[in-house]
Amino acid sequence: MASLDFIDVRKSFGAVQALRGVSFRVESGETHAVVGENGAGKSTLLKILAGITRPDAGSVKLAEQVFDHASPREALAGGIGMVFQERLAFPNLSVAANIFAGREITRAGGRLDHGAMRARTRELLNELRVPVGPDDPMEHVSAANAQLVQVARALAFDCRVLVLDEPTTSLTDAEVDHLFRILLELKARGVTILFVSHRLPEVFRLCERITVMRDGGHAGTFVTNETTPDAIVRAMVGREPPVRLSRPAVDPSAPPVLSVRNLSRGHKFHDVSLDVRPGEIVGVFGLVGSGRTELLETLFGIAQPTQGAVHLRGQPLVLRSARDASRAGIALVPEDRQRLGLHFNLNIRHNLSLAAAARTGLGRIDTRAEIRASEEMARSLALRMPSLRHEPDALSGGNQQKCVAGKWLTTSPVVLLLDEPTKGVDVGAKFEIHNLIRARAAEGMACLVVSSDLPEVLALADRILVMREGRLRGELPGTTATEENVMALATHDEAVGA
Amino acid sequence: MMRFWRQREFSTAAILLAEIIFFAWYLWPDGDRSHPFLNRNNFLLILKYSSIYGIATIGAAVVIISGGVDLAPGAVIGLTTVVMGYLFVEAGWPLWAAGSAALLVGVATGLLSSWLIIRVKLPPFIATLGVMGILRGAGFIITQARFYDLSAKLPRNWHVAGVSIDWLGPAVMVAAAIVFQRLMTGYQWGRNVQAVGGNEMAALFSGVPVGLIKSSAYVLSGVLAAASGVVLAVVQGQGKADLATGYELDIIASAVVGGASLVGGRGSVAGAVLGALIFGVLRNALPQISGATFYDRLIVGVVVIGIVVMDQVLTRRGSTA
Repeated sequence: MASLDFIDVRKSFGAVQALRGVSFRVESGETHAVVGENGAGKSTLLKILAGITRPDAGSVKLAEQVFDHASPREALAGGIGMVFQERLAFPNLSVAANIFAGREITRAGGRLDHGAMRARTRELLNELRVPVGPDDPMEHVSAANAQLVQVARALAFDCRVLVLDEPTTSLTDAEVDHLFRILLELKARGVTILFVSHRLPEVFRLCERITVMRDGGHAGTFVTNETTPDAIVRAMVGREPPVRLSRPAVDPSAPPVLSVRNLSRGHKFHDVSLDVRPGEIVGVFGLVGSGRTELLETLFGIAQPTQGAVHLRGQPLVLRSARDASRAGIALVPEDRQRLGLHFNLNIRHNLSLAAAARTGLGRIDTRAEIRASEEMARSLALRMPSLRHEPDALSGGNQQKCVAGKWLTTSPVVLLLDEPTKGVDVGAKFEIHNLIRARAAEGMACLVVSSDLPEVLALADRILVMREGRLRGELPGTTATEENVMALATHDEAVGA
Repeated sequence: MMRFWRQREFSTAAILLAEIIFFAWYLWPDGDRSHPFLNRNNFLLILKYSSIYGIATIGAAVVIISGGVDLAPGAVIGLTTVVMGYLFVEAGWPLWAAGSAALLVGVATGLLSSWLIIRVKLPPFIATLGVMGILRGAGFIITQARFYDLSAKLPRNWHVAGVSIDWLGPAVMVAAAIVFQRLMTGYQWGRNVQAVGGNEMAALFSGVPVGLIKSSAYVLSGVLAAASGVVLAVVQGQGKADLATGYELDIIASAVVGGASLVGGRGSVAGAVLGALIFGVLRNALPQISGATFYDRLIVGVVVIGIVVMDQVLTRRGSTA
């Protein structure tokens, strides 16, 4: 049993004030959410709690005691368990070794007591109903189970406060249900739960109170039963959530720019046929594992189809690499911007011009033209940055995403493929990115947007294709689709429409 | 242009200058004897020997910036002196033809390394370690413990257009440094090398021809190491299988001291050449200090660590200011 108090916590990184005096209380045994846009200070708060950084001023109290922990090890020993979005640190070790990493059970003389660790791991995993064994290598454990293994690790150290940072990002609905059942059981045992998420429906489902952070400050703490998602979003950004904008109708008889027929790739996806017309935004909705990312990567030449055909402006298209795709006028804004989208050793200008220049070959760079083009692009993206000479780690998540999109927009592609374009991005940036996509479609670009964010697909797409287990399961017009009928197709229904 | 002077090359140049000033002071002669370090002939000597490292370091730096590492340059240098010696002395080829053939050995080495790395998917460390062994072994097989004496067939006190052949190495080094510094900073090829080294997957997803860029780096490293070998064979007048043994580590150290990051994505050609000169001065001056003979390797090791630590401290301060 432990309450948690943040008392006027302040933290600056150089000139940036990440936390400007945050105070709030998490009651003992409570499920408490922390929400806020990217850059609101959530991550810094979590890092302080985890002992990764120390506050410049103010303090944290755990169970009414000032908790001045200087390292993650002390935080863990004090009973604060962290579950991060990323997988555990050691994919090469077994599940048991991951759970006890840093605090192994040892026999006299320092020899590892594998038996005891294995037994304790089995106990914890049974308790959490995770279908993995203590000796399974961590790299073979699915994302959802990896998250539960992190929970098990926290429990192995008798955690009194369990902190979860965006734990549901890569989980399916069923997996989220399982995680939430476990969390409620832990709560019943008296564990205090601090839940950080972008997903308001989940926050409302799980948490008793919600703390909203904005610009490094505390924007308010709300009792869940007495508030609404709209009120929370307003507290986060101080504006209304995005709504579906009316869009010019696309001529259904216009010849498609991109035409995909019976495309299959191994076990990844089967028999996919779709058309995208100029100026059209086609949404592909599918949950994790539905084959949507693989479909986009195949259309972008990263992997080759095993069957089927793709036509671009009526011409058959065979792509052997991303370079081929880029030269043909196809662009992909990938899901994982950190890993696949950005170069942190290059400045923002070089990042913005990489794709366009990679297309032209190995010749001399016209620096002046490059500066002009990237300044123009940064302006049209409303990129918020210190300068073009800074590297992308100076950007917030939303602006990083805009930067990746900008890299491709400089190439003036004919077909723009977007994979989860607003994943992990704050509400304001999301709205801007949606407008960016709409603006490019209005100029005649054919846009194919893959997303597992239902409101996003509904707000953006002219037509919605639903993908499940590697197949397209149906098509719905964007204007009349509802959350219910899209979700039904994505989870169980057989084709309607289409 | 002002920003240029705040770049990493400037601090490397400053270290080189400080080093020269230090040895000039430390080795200042008594009375009116001539200065053993600070004189024209000694500087030519330093340049002549540093250029053997310096030329190869340019290629090694490009490989490191592309996210790889090349352990073969020392062995390439050794083998090219042998190939030069064999073709020029034994087979009676003209010097230019023997030199060109030696450069082709460098190309072949680079192609072999990049084939192992890109197609066979070996880690660069292992692939180039293997290539190093193969090349060194090839040198011994060709020479059978003999060595080729090129100097007997080369003109004594050779001057080309009034310039001593001793300037060949420094001239090649400076020319290559200028060309590749320009290519790395002002051309798409260099940008792509940095992109591949900084984030290979993102480069692939940006349409960068990753395989082509990587193999261009290893081929370049092979050719420049071969050029070092040609210079060494001509200047030293020898073709010998065990020449340049262990140079690969000094070459990599020069690139790192010059600002190259072994995780890839960062570094500079000009910095790498300056790094090679820093070591060249050390190798020249330390033996002139009485009693330092047994310390020179130790001092070189301490200098590598010291310069890189200093750089980290400086960049850390720079980024938070």
